[in-house]
Amino acid sequence: MPVKIESKSGVTVCSVDGEIDINSSPDIKKVFDKLISQKAPKIVVNFSRVTYVDSSGLATLVEILKNMRSYGGRMKLSNLAPKIKSLFEITKLEKLFEITASEEEAVSAFK
Amino acid sequence: MTRSAQSVSSRPSVKSGDNTITVPSDTGHIREVSVRILEELSGYGLSEDILFDIRLCVEEAVRNAIVHGNRSSKSSKVKISYAIGPDSITIGVEDEGQGFDPKVVPDPTKDKNILKGSGRGVYLIRKLMDSVAFNAAGNRIEMTKLFGKNRNRSK
Repeated sequence: MPVKIESKSGVTVCSVDGEIDINSSPDIKKVFDKLISQKAPKIVVNFSRVTYVDSSGLATLVEILKNMRSYGGRMKLSNLAPKIKSLFEITKLEKLFEITASEEEAVSAFK
Repeated sequence: MTRSAQSVSSRPSVKSGDNTITVPSDTGHIREVSVRILEELSGYGLSEDILFDIRLCVEEAVRNAIVHGNRSSKSSKVKISYAIGPDSITIGVEDEGQGFDPKVVPDPTKDKNILKGSGRGVYLIRKLMDSVAFNAAGNRIEMTKLFGKNRNRSK
């Protein structure tokens, strides 16, 4: 399973393991589609074990965010490696996603 | 199949000794291209960051060639050529499609495009590579990354 899901203080924390790219994105999206079908209101995606993201991965995350917004859900990203964070900066996706340094920070920011 | 067994003296310059890889139009083949190129670069003492950039740009270019250029047609191939010089790598990716006009790719960072799914591949390549050019037909991209200060030891 590429995504570990935990509930912490009413927030769904999704820890993704490995790469979010053209090969893994469909499976990762399926996991989030299930959470979205349940209208999960608050999701934190923990990137601490994510080593690589490509444009397909970025597009998948945008798609997940769009789907969450349709019912008023919110999503935050945490623990991005500097190189991966720089991709969000270059593509200006940092203005779309709330990015925090730690998972705890993301979870508590939802309160 | 040539593997990275070249000694320093036989290392190709950007102008000569191009290596080529040809893959079918199936996105399952993207990774083998970047793995091969990164293996060739393994002895150059490049930083993780620059290797990340090169991998990403190679994979984005090959993906675009497969998906947009060849429209994933099983009969079409993508040809990748690369030349490693002392201070840079130049990579060419060519498909058998109709080509596109790189000037009309919408800016994915604009507010009206930011929620769209496409357009970030070419944008990332332009940002992360030091030079990027397309042929007139628009079915070949050539991109160069300078090793510069990202190279942390000499070889």
